[in-house]
Amino acid sequence: MSDNDLSRRSYLKGASAAGAASLAGLTGCLGLGGGGGSDPVELLHGWSGGDGASAFEAMHEGFQKEHDVETNVKPIGGSGNTTLDARISTRLGNDDPPSSWAEWPGQNLTQFTSEDLLGDIESDVWEENGMKDAYLEGPKEAAQVGGSYVAVPTNIHRINNLFFNKSVVESAGIDPAGLESPADLVEAAATVEEETDAVGFSHAMSSPWTTLQLWACVFLGEHGESAYDDFISGEGDQDAVQSSLETVAELSAHFNEDAGTVGFQEANQKVIDGGAAFFDQGDWAAQQYISQEGFEFESEWGHVPFPGTDGLYSLNMDSWVYSADGPNPEGTKEWLRYVGTKDAQVRFNTRKGSIPPRSDVSTEEFGPFQTSQIEEFQNSKAQPPSIAHGLAVAPETLTNLKNAVSNEFSNPSMDAAANAAEAFMNAF
Amino acid sequence: MIDRIHEAVRARGESEGDGDARTDGGTATVADDDAGSFFGSVSRDFLGSLPFWLPPFALMGFFVYGAIGWNFALSLVNVQQFNQPNYSQLDFDQYLRAFGDPSFISAAQNTAVLLVAFTLACLVVGLLVAILVDRHVRFENTFRTIYLLPMSLSFVVTAQFWLWLYNFDNGLVNVVTQALGLGRYKWISNPELALGAVVFALIWQFSGYAMVVYLAGLRAIPDEHYEAARVDGASTLKMYWRVIVPQLKGATISASVVLMVFALKAFDFLYALAGGFFPPKGTDILSTMMVRQAFSAGNRSYAAAIGIMLFLLAIAIVAPYLTYQYRRGEL
Amino acid sequence: MNTSDLDGRRVGLYAVLFGLVAFYLLPLEIGLVTSLKTDPLASLPFAPPAAGSFTLEEWGRAFTALKSGLVNSLLLAVPATILSAGLGSMAAYGLTTLQWRGQVGVFTLFIAGIFIPYQAVLLPVSRFWATYAPLEEWLAVLWLLPGLEAYHGELLSLIITHVAYGIPICTLLFRTYYKELSGEMVEAAKLDGATAYTIYRRVILPLSVPMFAVTLIYQFTQIWNDLLFALVIMGPGDGAPVTVGLTNIGSSLTNLGFGVKMAGAFIAALPTMVVYVLFGEQFAEGVAS
Repeated sequence: MSDNDLSRRSYLKGASAAGAASLAGLTGCLGLGGGGGSDPVELLHGWSGGDGASAFEAMHEGFQKEHDVETNVKPIGGSGNTTLDARISTRLGNDDPPSSWAEWPGQNLTQFTSEDLLGDIESDVWEENGMKDAYLEGPKEAAQVGGSYVAVPTNIHRINNLFFNKSVVESAGIDPAGLESPADLVEAAATVEEETDAVGFSHAMSSPWTTLQLWACVFLGEHGESAYDDFISGEGDQDAVQSSLETVAELSAHFNEDAGTVGFQEANQKVIDGGAAFFDQGDWAAQQYISQEGFEFESEWGHVPFPGTDGLYSLNMDSWVYSADGPNPEGTKEWLRYVGTKDAQVRFNTRKGSIPPRSDVSTEEFGPFQTSQIEEFQNSKAQPPSIAHGLAVAPETLTNLKNAVSNEFSNPSMDAAANAAEAFMNAF
Repeated sequence: MIDRIHEAVRARGESEGDGDARTDGGTATVADDDAGSFFGSVSRDFLGSLPFWLPPFALMGFFVYGAIGWNFALSLVNVQQFNQPNYSQLDFDQYLRAFGDPSFISAAQNTAVLLVAFTLACLVVGLLVAILVDRHVRFENTFRTIYLLPMSLSFVVTAQFWLWLYNFDNGLVNVVTQALGLGRYKWISNPELALGAVVFALIWQFSGYAMVVYLAGLRAIPDEHYEAARVDGASTLKMYWRVIVPQLKGATISASVVLMVFALKAFDFLYALAGGFFPPKGTDILSTMMVRQAFSAGNRSYAAAIGIMLFLLAIAIVAPYLTYQYRRGEL
Repeated sequence: MNTSDLDGRRVGLYAVLFGLVAFYLLPLEIGLVTSLKTDPLASLPFAPPAAGSFTLEEWGRAFTALKSGLVNSLLLAVPATILSAGLGSMAAYGLTTLQWRGQVGVFTLFIAGIFIPYQAVLLPVSRFWATYAPLEEWLAVLWLLPGLEAYHGELLSLIITHVAYGIPICTLLFRTYYKELSGEMVEAAKLDGATAYTIYRRVILPLSVPMFAVTLIYQFTQIWNDLLFALVIMGPGDGAPVTVGLTNIGSSLTNLGFGVKMAGAFIAALPTMVVYVLFGEQFAEGVAS
């Protein structure tokens, strides 16, 4: 049998004409079949375009090559997974769960486990293929809720990045590696605007999560890891929160004018075009540079950890969860075992621009930027989880934080910072 | 022409008369109805009409009234995220919650502003344009077609156009204000301007609709009324204000009802403008808030309560209109 | 009033009318030229692309991104339009031409259905299709047939939903029309002993053609243009109609910027614009009643 999805499906269709498969399908759909094992494994994810789509396709292809399980894949695009989340919430609320879906692990999973919507896969998945030994401690922890494994992380993204256009910062006479604090960044952005025609700091605010993420980087850079830990456990210091929001407000004087209506891809494009100097975003933004011809790492664009966060690897992860009630549980477990393999993670991460959560994956296949990130990850002294992606806080808190940004901080200013700080504290 | 159809129908009816009469039980004739067996005739026509209106009514009734009832039930319990409704405990907590929720209050205010400003502006623009088009101009049809064109477009499409027109760097609106020496504005991301910008875009899309309704109204006014006013020596402006506009009451009412319903449905436009569930600050209306609460935040019962309140708002707008139509014998 | 004054007024009138043409068409013109430029930010928004900066690339990218959505929209809008118009015509006949008491009450329920804000029914409708009538599962055996995919089950749910909510407006349009039809023919047919079905089939339907044109055009435009039901009942994905795909175009890694946004907007709008240009009269009639 051929190894690609398309011809396998048409083979199935041919068989159905012969009659046998259609009978099986009929019994399945009438609920006469045992356990509905003939249903395809339904997979939902948010990578509907660009690098994410090709990364997922490569991984899915790898799965189809080795396993004879029919899948029904639904890519649901949209900034920061909001559309995917909405879909998942609708499906689960309607008692209609898919088999598995891509979800941020950690605290984010509590919304599902508290309603028993996820199943334990410790013995069926994690104890296979040496996964427990191969996974790094952070991702392994994020895969569990209350001690049971319910998800398989596939990739790690870094959040605390500062990207820059090399020729713009050079003509402004700035050395990004010398920026030691968020305040230095504000100053550098001002210098850029004095010395060049470019915008100091490109930013996107069409949805609230990007500003929440920028604030989290500033906060981490200004107040350090333990203040960050206090904040995510609901015991943050309001003055510290406010002072970081004020820094964001100062930085906003150097935002692109259309920040309020663009998404992060459009904001990032300004860096590529030379219309902006600096940009903060997860490392998926780097894929936009890598896919751009004639825009090379270290010669046209560069990367440093967000000022003040050197030695920290602020992380976001994607994982595949095991739905307690989804169609075709056996096939779903097969899928989850596969996404935990080296093969799957090389296929996915090389294309996605993220790094693998398994420690035993060779760096040979990764490009220079990813290799340097893998090194920094392995040498990092701490890996604070992302707030804007819900690894660090429960979904309800995250919604409150996003609402706070949307309601109080859409137009950053000193007054707005005070109100937003209060709303941030009330989010827990 | 009609007579010919009549003849043809008669001819066909005759040729198939036998078979049809039998299905009526052989005795059913119009004479029977005339004889005045009241219940007989009513029930026969009633029964005969059932196969036609009942299936569409059942389908529509299930999805419209059944769903509203279900939604009302949902608004009386407390369903959040993924828990299931517990119908043994019913209360109006979700409605109370709405009135204590500042974001609900502001969404309700925005909805009111949108309803009033958008409807009034569309009516005024539509009436003026209709009066101009009505002045026996050449290419009248072409003008009318062009003015109504935006209405044939999807909210999603027009949102893309206006996102670009309102672009800070190179959008038409800022190019114009800049050229006029007024400077440039953040039309979408400044909360004080955003709702106005949205209303303006919607006026562009729907004023053509008001124009078409008014034009039909103007055409229905007999020419003598214009003549009479002119003989009395009234100026054009006075003539329209005193004589013509009062006769457009019907057109005004039906156009405003439909425009208000469009305004309540502006969800599509705002969703497309933001590319997601959070509309630009200052433009959140009840329709967008309901969908966000239901399908993004997972507050299903709260969303159901907002949905019911939107429904009541629509009823408040439509019920007087339907009564008015009924009184005029137009239902 | 002398003639030159009159001429002056006429000139002024036409100037205003052409000014309005500019007002209503300029956004479209700007969208069109923007979709053809390599760099929409480099020149005035309404200026046509300069010689060196003309490109069809954005149209190609937008078409690639939206083509499956276009097919889905067609599969959705055509059957839904025909069914809702057909059912609307039947309902109007049953409520108008055939006279019985209590008609107005039932009819009022139909009419009120036109004005329902969809937000009042979204949660139940989405739950109904997901939990109580999962067509995708029920019809699983169909998706094995060539040319059919599982997402066609979701499209079917969407079709039925649109038909249900389209019936009220269709019924209103047909009823207004049937009330004005002469009752003579119906009476004559009754005298000949024709059944209700025969009267509908032989008398009413042939006379309804112009109204079908109006209703079909109006409904096609409404269903093609809808976003909310598609978003909530099926969500983005393989089966999603073109309006869903359009909401995210221009802000993803592969399709970025206003060029592709504008091209996408035109591609998504093209079918309704063609229908409008061809049948503008019927559309105007549909919205006016």
